[in-house]
Amino acid sequence: MGLREDLERFREVGEQRRQDLAEFIQYGDLGGSGPDSVRVPIKLVDLPEFQYDKLDQGGVGQGEVEPGDQVGDPEEGDGDGDEAGEEGADHEYYEMDPEEFAQELDDRLGLDLDPKGKKVVEETEGAFNDTARRGPRGTLDFAHLYKQGLKRKIAMDFDEEYVTEALRVEGWGVDEVYEWAREQHVPVSRAWLKEQARTLAGDTDRWASIDELEAELDAEPTKTRIRRGGAGKVPLRRDDERFRHPKIVERRERNVVVVNIRDVSGSMREAKRELVERTFTPLDWYLTGKYDNAEFVYIAHDAEAWEVERGDFFGIRSGGGTRISTAYELAEEVLGDYPFSEWNRYVFAAGDGENSHDDTEENVIPLMREINANLHAYVETQPTDGVQTGTHAGKLRDAFGEGDGVAVTTVTEPGDVMDAIETILSTEEDTDDET
Amino acid sequence: MTRPEPGKQTAASELAEPAREANALARKLGLDPYDVQYWVVDHDEMNELIAYDGFQTRYPHWRWGMKYEKQRKQTQFLGGKAFEIVNNDDPSNAFLQVSNELADQKAVITHVEAHADFFSNNRWFGLFAGGDGPNAAAMLERHANRVEEFLEDPDVGREAVERFVDTVLTIEDNIEYRRAFERDSEGSDPEALSETLASLGVSEEVREEVFTETWLDEVEAVDDDVRFPEEPEYDLLAFLRDHGQAYDDDAGKAVAFEDWQRELLELLRREAYYFAPQRTTKVMNEGWAAYWESMMMGEEAFAAAEEFLDYADHQARVLNSPGFNPYKLGKELWEYVENRANRREVLERLLRVDGVTWRNFHDTVDFEAVANALEPPDALAAVDPDDLDAVESLPGEYVDFGALAAARERDIDVEQYPWKLFTYEGLARRHYSLAKPQYRGFLGRVTRDELEGVSRYLFDTDRYATVGDALDDVEFSAGWDRMYAVRESHNDVTFVDEFLTQEFVDANDYFAYEFSQTRGDFRATSTDAADVKRKLLLRFTNLGKPTIAVYDANHENRGELLLGHEYNGVMLDLEEAEATLERLFDLWGRPVVLHTVTKRVTDAERKRARRNDREPEPEEVGLELRYDGEEVEHTELDWGTVEHLAADDLDYDTKPDEWL
Repeated sequence: MGLREDLERFREVGEQRRQDLAEFIQYGDLGGSGPDSVRVPIKLVDLPEFQYDKLDQGGVGQGEVEPGDQVGDPEEGDGDGDEAGEEGADHEYYEMDPEEFAQELDDRLGLDLDPKGKKVVEETEGAFNDTARRGPRGTLDFAHLYKQGLKRKIAMDFDEEYVTEALRVEGWGVDEVYEWAREQHVPVSRAWLKEQARTLAGDTDRWASIDELEAELDAEPTKTRIRRGGAGKVPLRRDDERFRHPKIVERRERNVVVVNIRDVSGSMREAKRELVERTFTPLDWYLTGKYDNAEFVYIAHDAEAWEVERGDFFGIRSGGGTRISTAYELAEEVLGDYPFSEWNRYVFAAGDGENSHDDTEENVIPLMREINANLHAYVETQPTDGVQTGTHAGKLRDAFGEGDGVAVTTVTEPGDVMDAIETILSTEEDTDDET
Repeated sequence: MTRPEPGKQTAASELAEPAREANALARKLGLDPYDVQYWVVDHDEMNELIAYDGFQTRYPHWRWGMKYEKQRKQTQFLGGKAFEIVNNDDPSNAFLQVSNELADQKAVITHVEAHADFFSNNRWFGLFAGGDGPNAAAMLERHANRVEEFLEDPDVGREAVERFVDTVLTIEDNIEYRRAFERDSEGSDPEALSETLASLGVSEEVREEVFTETWLDEVEAVDDDVRFPEEPEYDLLAFLRDHGQAYDDDAGKAVAFEDWQRELLELLRREAYYFAPQRTTKVMNEGWAAYWESMMMGEEAFAAAEEFLDYADHQARVLNSPGFNPYKLGKELWEYVENRANRREVLERLLRVDGVTWRNFHDTVDFEAVANALEPPDALAAVDPDDLDAVESLPGEYVDFGALAAARERDIDVEQYPWKLFTYEGLARRHYSLAKPQYRGFLGRVTRDELEGVSRYLFDTDRYATVGDALDDVEFSAGWDRMYAVRESHNDVTFVDEFLTQEFVDANDYFAYEFSQTRGDFRATSTDAADVKRKLLLRFTNLGKPTIAVYDANHENRGELLLGHEYNGVMLDLEEAEATLERLFDLWGRPVVLHTVTKRVTDAERKRARRNDREPEPEEVGLELRYDGEEVEHTELDWGTVEHLAADDLDYDTKPDEWL
């Protein structure tokens, strides 16, 4: 009982009630999320109730206005929110880290992209599983040493009383006993027998023969003796010393670099821009969640290409002209810092399919072949009200086939975004399967 | 949570004197608060208390966790300042955050004393409290223990309890918050109530809206038949408690509630009634606290000079938070109540001066001179500790002579607490509103209508020869006296209805707005007091929610539950209504039906309106929503079926004809 528990329950309930991932990606507010945390609105408290239609209700504001003036979206302010019995109606968020997001998206799309480790980073984090004959005393594997000693002791152990009794067999001396013992694999030494024979006080013919002795007495097995009297002194030998040291794990870091390319020329209007953002942003989260280390490069282009910050990427608009190859040239240059042997590389481009004459065939396609990457993708955005004019996507479809690791998809409305993401991600999976 | 920690102990001992003196000052000013127990808590405990609505124990539920989370984030952004929380209980409990500045603490304490006065004296709080106080903390703890028992019952289980709580909470506002909690309570004496209503001077329209005839009739003739409701039943929680059933998924039919379900329903209903007054008096109560806080902290210098900046910052944050702000509206309205009552008192004197009539008032009265005459005497306005003789020479009714004697013995620190020397009358004069710089023009701004109204009630006796003679008779406590009377009997609806005048709206720049379908945004519609009032009343009446009642428990003779939405011109959020019906099914066990009136705009009309740059004319149509356990079905109803649900004399629409 208590608030801790309520808080835990809230998290559980929040998990159940967070906005459906597809709905969130396609229509939700992506803005609240950061690179490390994806904030999915919880339809929470959607404890529903009978209430007025918000738009039909109107309200009261304060300020100097004339009737007819726009008054902005009225917001509830509540002074210092304090008084008992007040319910807030705003959104809560279910926060998931990119790992969880990627997992959810995999579940949702039935994918299981297993990212490849590339760059070798030597790590010493392995357990102390390897051993060596030398090392600091502190890492001495005493368990090993003792076990070896114990083994040795057991190997040398025998029932001393029993063997001594053999010296009391009529007519038997050290030599006879020794021979007999050896046949029985009793690890006894002649010196020890001599010593025993010397201290034997009379009564040297208790047994008529060795057969009588064997019939009358049984040697006590080592196990029983140790259990009864303990191991006694275990001989430890330097030979048996082993020093533990960590296993050197050759771990490959799963690095990824994602190049996002966007056509920012005049023909890319607001609706198209938003479609790009809705497609690229979840891909960024997904890859961040999948890889240990993700880096992002944002390239904007019209007739020229330049690198921009993420914060500016989706908002930029520029003048006319479109030359997609400029972006790939820049991408190739930037990727020089991310060798394919060490980095997984993704190159995602988006635009409305327009390109300058012959640029696609003559420059872009060769560049796409040239730039090694796990996946190339082109997202063509065609808002429903637009007339399709671009041919870039079509040419790419013709040039690349299945297994080439190139995804081409068209998004005309938010409802297409999930399909586009699925197409892109499953293209890599298919490629993986074939290689 | 009260384990003493060094920081808290220091803070607590530091606050003992301010708390004691604030209470003494509050009482001098005429407030009559419940005793307040102050607790010093840390930031996290504060967030917990806020999540629990100001109490230490509530029944287990995920939404407290949500509130806590939200509060935690919010206070992070606000720099960890949660200012005050006080609960409605006798004694009240108020919580002070250990890390706050002393100035903030003092502000909270003064604010809290005023809330505690309101809790104790406002009759809407009395509806729950009855004669012996709300006993809230004990009640809520009892509830918590009870729910905990349900949870632990292996035959019930946490999931089931939580789901049931969620379901009931969807209709927690559908209660009759206007009546005393127990329906056969002896506390609601119908005659006294009618008198109270008459004395409120509430307009007929509001009276009908707020205190339906049905309700008054019911109170007068306590009808103890088991009703299936002969009259619409507005307390949905009570109705379902008595007549509801659960739906058994396996059996596919309605089954009687388990005992725990019925008990839980009643428990949640009790809490809904307990919290209702705080919501129906939010503007008044917050305004009241803000007014007296400002009086004590600012005008009586309860904040030391060096703390004053902190205090000013605190107050600015509270009063200037954006959007609709109940603190600000409330404080402005209370100040208006005070000024109006003071003005009326002065007018009643001045209009009896020979030669002064309501027609020539503005020409014959020298307002500047009047304002000067109304100013408090110097010895009252500013106490000189070295000249207590000056205090002694003030009119006797102003001076607390016991305190004065103690001050002469140096038993009272007059420098810090000058107010100790005065009576309620003395302090009323000391803080007389019409003499304050910001209100010196208030008297002169009186309209001819108001003048005429006042003069009509004056007898032609007790005439004064001069303005000076008339002013000598002014009751300076008229404003405060009126405020105290208003805080006893009003709630937000009646408060706004009575005091939100055109003068108030103009002075404080309030306006009404509506959503423009044609423009797709919100636009101001009017600065007319009647319109602003309409929108505010819509927000306050019935907890700001549409009125829904049970109309028939055996609808179509099939045992279905028929609810009626009493349409006042503002339509329901249909999506929410559908979702609520789906939940209600779990409390009725059989299909649930809602009749409502909704608005429809045809595409043709929408286009026409856009072309002519005007708002489309919606068509009002009757609509039935029916949920049968599987899906919600919409059926259009003819007007005759819903006509009785539509109020014809109410109109909350403020859109002018020529708007855009």
